[in-house]
Amino acid sequence: MTTKNRETSETPNQQGDAADTSLVPRDPLTGDAILPRTQPGYYAGFTTLSQQSFWDAATRKVIDKRVNHQPPIRFFNPTEASFWTTVFDHLIPQTDRTPDHRIAILPTLDERLYHDRTNGYRYEDMPHDREAYHLAFDAINQEARSEYRADFISLPYLQQDLVLKTLHDGEPKAAPEIWKQMSVHRFWLLLIGDAIDIYYAHPWAWDEIGFGGPAYPRAYIRLERGEPEPWEAEEQRYDWVAPDHAVSGEIEATHEFYLESVQHRSHRRKHERLP
Amino acid sequence: MKKPLLGSFEPPAAGNKHMLGALQHIHLPMRRFKELEEVDYVIVGVGSAGGVLLQRLARAGFNVVGLEAGPFWDTERDWVSDEAGSHDLYWEDPRVTGGTDPLAFGSNNCGKGVGGGSVHWAAFTPRLHPSDFEIYTRDGVGTDWPITYEEIRPYYEQLELEMPVAGPAYYPWGHPHGYPYGPHPMGGVGNALIRGCSALDIPVCIGGPVAILSGSHGDRPHCIYRGFCIQGCKVGAKASTLITHVPDALHSGAEIRDNSMAARVSLGKDGRVNGVHYFDKDGREHFQRAKSVILCGYAIETPRLLLNSACPGFELGLANSSDTVGRYLMAQAGTVVLGRFDQLVRMYKAPPAHALTEEFYETDPKNDFARGFAIQTVGPLPAAFGKQMVSAKKAWGWGLRREMMDYNHWASFGLLGEILPWPENRVTLADEKDRFGLPIAHVSFNLHENDKRLIKAATQKTIEVMHAAGATEVVHEARYAHLVGAARMGSDPRTSVVDKFGRSHDIANLFICDGSIMPTQGSANPGLTIQALAARTADYLISQARTIFTGSKRDMTTPPIRRELAPPDTWGKGVPRFTHLLSAGR
Repeated sequence: MTTKNRETSETPNQQGDAADTSLVPRDPLTGDAILPRTQPGYYAGFTTLSQQSFWDAATRKVIDKRVNHQPPIRFFNPTEASFWTTVFDHLIPQTDRTPDHRIAILPTLDERLYHDRTNGYRYEDMPHDREAYHLAFDAINQEARSEYRADFISLPYLQQDLVLKTLHDGEPKAAPEIWKQMSVHRFWLLLIGDAIDIYYAHPWAWDEIGFGGPAYPRAYIRLERGEPEPWEAEEQRYDWVAPDHAVSGEIEATHEFYLESVQHRSHRRKHERLP
Repeated sequence: MKKPLLGSFEPPAAGNKHMLGALQHIHLPMRRFKELEEVDYVIVGVGSAGGVLLQRLARAGFNVVGLEAGPFWDTERDWVSDEAGSHDLYWEDPRVTGGTDPLAFGSNNCGKGVGGGSVHWAAFTPRLHPSDFEIYTRDGVGTDWPITYEEIRPYYEQLELEMPVAGPAYYPWGHPHGYPYGPHPMGGVGNALIRGCSALDIPVCIGGPVAILSGSHGDRPHCIYRGFCIQGCKVGAKASTLITHVPDALHSGAEIRDNSMAARVSLGKDGRVNGVHYFDKDGREHFQRAKSVILCGYAIETPRLLLNSACPGFELGLANSSDTVGRYLMAQAGTVVLGRFDQLVRMYKAPPAHALTEEFYETDPKNDFARGFAIQTVGPLPAAFGKQMVSAKKAWGWGLRREMMDYNHWASFGLLGEILPWPENRVTLADEKDRFGLPIAHVSFNLHENDKRLIKAATQKTIEVMHAAGATEVVHEARYAHLVGAARMGSDPRTSVVDKFGRSHDIANLFICDGSIMPTQGSANPGLTIQALAARTADYLISQARTIFTGSKRDMTTPPIRRELAPPDTWGKGVPRFTHLLSAGR
């Protein structure tokens, strides 16, 4: 398998530097850094790609293209490309993967925007997807400059994480004139939705989470009790916690929201909860 | 890597000859009509309804052309077992969505290509309940249908045979009935729903009703439980009109013109429609003449086409003297409740549509809202699950990676809740144009108090069931499912677009037959009802013979059901019925 997957970042604060243990997950008991692996997750040795000969030809072709033939960058200019690559290093951080087993996100997004493909709808409080990415490039940089007096890309990882967290929380402080043109939470969902669509479409990500992948024409035969097929792997769990220099490890359930229109917004907007 | 049971499989031979089923390619010579030739019927949209109508009308001997905006699928070549690789199945042309509670479209509810949405539905096929046809009379909300349950019941029974539907021998809710094919074996999510419901003493139905074969049927193989139902069933086990009705339609002399995007329905000086303007794949405009036009474009494209067909005499849109076209659009509440279990579930196996309860379907005076909801299984694949973790837990970065590593521990239920029809929930035209220069649809959607209360109560009940199933953590993602309404049927031409047979009140030879004519939606997935309505409209058109092509007289006599017009081998098989229970209620 060829793995021209990621332009490993040039700046030392980026996640290409696996030697910086503040940027890799840790064992919660010992506090030791967990060294990058070719395959993180609880299904060591499981590879969906090893089952390719049991897939139909059309599926094989689509997956082969995804894994081995990255599209060229045509929509983003080099500055934007490296900016968004850095952003995706926070949305789907991969320092627990060895550099040759990281999954590139930017090229597939670039291809989508280059061909102007969408999900089939645009929210009325959102610009077109292409415009949204251009606007957000400016807004995120303005946030970085106003909080930390530097462009986003030159900040240390932790401060970059904090800048992006303001979008996650729906409360960026800078660039109000841009966020007037598009909804913060809708943009966040667009951005992280793109990241998820691309990362979890890769067979290495399927291996990581123990997803069996394509099963036509062979079929799945063990439906009950979550048992693996003979060619799937048993789960082998290990404990890990997020790196010290990351703020995305925490989870906050949105239990009290029952409507789609408010569930994604900031948890502070309590007046929008249902009685 | 371990070997499969009984040793290794032989890898498929070069050229991928290792495939299932005979219906992977449809090699039928197809009749071609000339555009100048005036055909009897042009059908716009060959999806759930259009496929059934095309088949019935062709079998009855009419000259009929189906215009389909998307491609004619060669399933073995075009479809993949892959979440990200299935976008071509969805209607992803631009639309604008807004209102206080904007709806998502695309993969969520809109199909493109022959078979339409039935290609990527999960294939849950519950019927509406008798109460659904008279919610205004019973509860003072929404509106009544111009027909009763008894009028559509023979078509439910018929389409359940034609798909056919797998499910239990006895289905206790609404009008109790049984299913022709046996229920499917349970996967992990279905088992969780059974466990949760049983613990709370809630009746639950397992293994269906779902239009997926549990045993082979004609030349279609049964389900192989690979879990990619909503990415298109390459196996041919899941019913779509592409495999259930289209082959017989072509065999009977219908033509399907794929990659043909309808632009405008043409109105003649005599006040009757006389054909459809459409664009081919290369953007060239054509006009197909017809004696009658049937719109089957579903709840967004049908009203959009009518609005785009505005002309002198119909300035608000064709057939829109009531200003009802585009209004009363409905989606169902489709909140997904996710539960994490200590044990593995592996919810990607088996069909997502697997088990359900309709115990909370009817209006309960103890509630602070009218109407009700169902609880069903859903089985999101990884990317869909990831986005649910974003909504339900605000996950991102490392938190998201961690949740995803637990994918195999989660089970998910979807509630299906009735949202009432409201006039301002509507489809209008945006200023923006599509690649053909046609104004795109703008959709506005707002929830009302009854809707919000219902969604909250339904979510809480579904969470309760998930806890009772043994989940150690339960979260939810609020969302919507399905689309209906926006060109509703009714008896009063001032408040509805079509009559009870789908004929437009304004124009005697213009029909609408798809989800958009439903006045209310209940808490049942609409696919079966849409196909049943199509078969019923077909019987009406056939019983009226050629009077529709010339006259304007509106004969409102209900025609007899014509089972002999079903695709061969789909009728006359035994199906258990429990008619004596209907009047007694439960």
